[in-house]
Amino acid sequence: MPGLAPGDSAGGVPDSVNGTLVPYSSDSHVSAIYPLRHGLNPPISRVSVSWGRGNSLRVSVFRQPDSDPKSDGEVGGRVVEVTLGKSRDGEISDAQWRKIAYGSVSPFALLQSRKNSTASLSRMQLSPSPYHLEWWEYVMEYSKDISSLLGDPKTALAPLIEDPNEVFPKKVEEPSSLKAAWELMEMFYVDKLSQAWLPERLVDWLADYDSLISIDLPTVHSKLVEFQNQIVTLQVIEDDPRYWDLISSALAVGWLEIVVKLLRLHGSYRLDQLGRRETENGLVEAVAVLISKMPRMRPAIDAGKIGECFKAKPDFVKAWERWRAQITKLDSSAFWVQCDHRQTREGLKNMLQIMLGNVDVLCSSTCHWMELYISHFLYIRPFTAGLESMYSLAQKCIRLKHTSNPHKLMRLMIGILGENNEVVLAECSRGFGTWMVAHAIELLTAGSNEADILVHEEREDLGGISLEELHRLVYAQLLSSHLLTWQIAPIYLTSCMRQGMGLLEILLLKQPVQENQMLLKNLEICRLYELDGISSHLMEISGMYHWKHGRKGCAVFWLQQAHDEVRLSRIASQLFDSVGKSISGESFKQWEGLIELLGSEGQLAGGLNFLHKYRDFKKCLQHAESRKDADAARQAVESLMSLMRNASTPQRFWLPILYDAVKLLSWDEGPLINVSQTNLLLNKLQELSVARLRPDFVEPELPTQALNHVRYSLGTNLGRAILGEL
Amino acid sequence: MAVIGIPQTQIHRLPQYRYVDSIRWLPSVSPLQQSAIVAFFDTDADTPSLEVHSLDQESRSLDLVSSWVPPSRISSLKCTQAFAVASTVSGSLHVFSATEAQDPSPAFRSVVSADGKGFHVGRIAGVDLMGCGSNECVSVGEDGRVNLVRVLDGSYRKVFDGNGLVSYTAVKWASPTEFVTGGCGFGLQWWDLRRPGSAVAQFKGNLGKGRTSGIIHSIDVHPSRKHTCLAGGSAGTVFAWDLRYQHQPIILSGTGNDTAAQPLSESEVWEVQYESYTKSSMNNFSSSKLLPAMFCSEDGILGVIDQGEEPTELLAEPCAINSFDIDRQNPSEVICSLEWESIAIVSRP
Repeated sequence: MPGLAPGDSAGGVPDSVNGTLVPYSSDSHVSAIYPLRHGLNPPISRVSVSWGRGNSLRVSVFRQPDSDPKSDGEVGGRVVEVTLGKSRDGEISDAQWRKIAYGSVSPFALLQSRKNSTASLSRMQLSPSPYHLEWWEYVMEYSKDISSLLGDPKTALAPLIEDPNEVFPKKVEEPSSLKAAWELMEMFYVDKLSQAWLPERLVDWLADYDSLISIDLPTVHSKLVEFQNQIVTLQVIEDDPRYWDLISSALAVGWLEIVVKLLRLHGSYRLDQLGRRETENGLVEAVAVLISKMPRMRPAIDAGKIGECFKAKPDFVKAWERWRAQITKLDSSAFWVQCDHRQTREGLKNMLQIMLGNVDVLCSSTCHWMELYISHFLYIRPFTAGLESMYSLAQKCIRLKHTSNPHKLMRLMIGILGENNEVVLAECSRGFGTWMVAHAIELLTAGSNEADILVHEEREDLGGISLEELHRLVYAQLLSSHLLTWQIAPIYLTSCMRQGMGLLEILLLKQPVQENQMLLKNLEICRLYELDGISSHLMEISGMYHWKHGRKGCAVFWLQQAHDEVRLSRIASQLFDSVGKSISGESFKQWEGLIELLGSEGQLAGGLNFLHKYRDFKKCLQHAESRKDADAARQAVESLMSLMRNASTPQRFWLPILYDAVKLLSWDEGPLINVSQTNLLLNKLQELSVARLRPDFVEPELPTQALNHVRYSLGTNLGRAILGEL
Repeated sequence: MAVIGIPQTQIHRLPQYRYVDSIRWLPSVSPLQQSAIVAFFDTDADTPSLEVHSLDQESRSLDLVSSWVPPSRISSLKCTQAFAVASTVSGSLHVFSATEAQDPSPAFRSVVSADGKGFHVGRIAGVDLMGCGSNECVSVGEDGRVNLVRVLDGSYRKVFDGNGLVSYTAVKWASPTEFVTGGCGFGLQWWDLRRPGSAVAQFKGNLGKGRTSGIIHSIDVHPSRKHTCLAGGSAGTVFAWDLRYQHQPIILSGTGNDTAAQPLSESEVWEVQYESYTKSSMNNFSSSKLLPAMFCSEDGILGVIDQGEEPTELLAEPCAINSFDIDRQNPSEVICSLEWESIAIVSRP
């Protein structure tokens, strides 16, 4: 049993015996109280609880059925929803998560369709045309699209007059660890072009996200922010040891522009002191110039950042050696002796040691292991080495700067460096949620066959699905649990080969259909994925819902759309009950709309098109009566005959129809109904007399003498008709 | 052959982090200001709100001016020169003064409201207010009721009660005494208050053989051609119904269309409006030709259909466009509400 916790043998009884699956501690058992705002007056007689969408409970509260007829304004009950717990951590709000979810649909769908077309190309064994992009380039495009969704830690526009004391550029948005994680994955798994300058990319990454990497311990970033707030109060900045500390720290992690800016705050630059401290100032400036000339192994550098870029390794090596020689030369210069200011001398010397790659100084200047790690890349080995050596270097840095409680980004980083795809997936899921795994799998598999096999292998323990499918299904479940995001779940479900369609059908059937708009959105999804069965099922459900709530027109419409003959007929018999009572000559106006909806003959109406004919008959009859119009009367006879011939005319209407027809039978200007027609009507009357003996016969609301009256009229008419035909 | 300097259609998408139920432009109080009235629904807090936002001309962002809390979600929203009217899913109707709502105060209030058991049962599906001269607001519901609300005092009278045997889903005034309603099965009804009791003309929704039936979602009547109404509904259907030729609807768009033009959309058309901004020259307007129409659809299309011409697409979104409105004072500007909790503003050159 995989879910079984290791048995606690101290009590002598193994857990499997007393049946607990997880270690149980009573203090974690805190009950939460959720107030219900149902707004009903007591007494409440019944409460029922069921699961709603996601982590919400649907609580139905019923009042005692009222015996007092006067208070009929009161509602009998109400349904309220209670959302349990807080769903996510505070870094990203629910609304922002939804925005990310919406935005990632298009890039995801595009990548899947490209994947399918590439697969079909290779199946046809066509060589991709030379203009085709490599697969990783498509993934790169996808990654960039997603990354832009996750926030843009751009710096604010530079103010016109720069504040000399502002060392740190202001960020528009707080950096998010989700984006940081995404960029890490992109850097290591997708971006083939930047593999050659991976160390420099890591330097940039740390510059953006240094504020995130530590939970409890200070970082260079946090120390800089703290110092920044105190700069204004400092009179002689170079006397403060923290000033030199921070300059070294910033230099160690490669924030060169900040270092230069800080150096220029040095007191020796001030005009009133320049004369006295000429040598000192010369040394400070020399270091600043050296820093700004630092060779960087990268194609380009952002505006505002400093360093000299080299694309090719030999050029870089040459420049690097020249630069190091200049540092050594400065280090052994005679000017140091002439520098009176001790802090300046020591601080600058310390900086030279950093640039020369002195491990001890690097270690003391940095706070976090990641910072130390980056400083190694900057000053000790600026070239890309294999992941294996990067990993062992990281292990070394962690040993030097151990943290007991590593941040989720650092756990992910270790997983990536350790080339352990399972750990990477697990950390993505644990630290960044289901969205991250479902989308980052594409990055993980972009360039590595091993990862590809790992996520696409069908697993027995997962019921035959692959890891990729599992994570997509889980993400789709999360999407379906929200009122606004369920509509995008189908995109992910349909990309799941094994269980996707089944779950999609369940999802669609579970959606509420009370509102036409929601139902139509649901039906649209059915149309897109050609789920005709589901869509007619939904229409049936909706039709019955409307029927129960008295919206007969809507109900008939949806059942017609669903081609549900059975329910339409059942509805018909109920409708006829109310027809019998309410259609008394004039009140057809209310029925008009419904009858129009039912349409004329030939359309599917499940016996309901009787109403249509009945209405026509009534209309003609009315015309004939009011205007004494023979043509209208003849038309009325025609509808009468078609009604009586039609098998779908319910028996209970036979007598009322025949009773109405008495007016036609006793038409003054001679018989309208011929012998054979009269015979047919007489037969129907006979059939009716027999049917009356059955117990389930419904007696129509007519005068008691109606039957005899009809019989008499029919007889008379038969006589007149025979005479007329002679 | 230089293509320099041709102004492009600009599209601004503004995420709202709340569902947008409906959106309308408000008549502006000053020529330099544009504002819109938006019905929001916040799913996190489970609260609806009706808000007036002014549009910043430079950054094209929306700034909240004032707001009002409706008793339930807004189901339909319309604006005229003087008033805005909103109906709710719980069956109440609220009228606001358009100028008062734009006052920079934290909240605005309704001038009159109508609700209660005698008014509507459940969701009001459509409301409309006549532009000028008339002060009555018509409301229709799935309960089959048609009511008229007086804007002055909020009193209402019943025009028709279908008792649930019919359901209405859209309504539009044609003249101060006439209006058109639409419902299930592509049915349209023409009502004349001078001949009360029932609709004076009915379109039975028969759009020709092989066409699937559906629901009318939106109706528009152009003030210069009151005998023709434009309707949009299910299956990408947009058609015009002329009272003078009641049995010959003119199908502008829809699946199974006989015309060569491929329909822009095959899903629900949520809203249609006559297009008042068009580049075609005036001599192109013959009285027999229909005016161009704009529509938005479930599959994310905002397009313009001109009879006998290829339809043009203004906006294609990956999600549904649920409602839109053309600014009457500045018809090049269209504002849309998108399914994915955002608003789009389309500014045409």
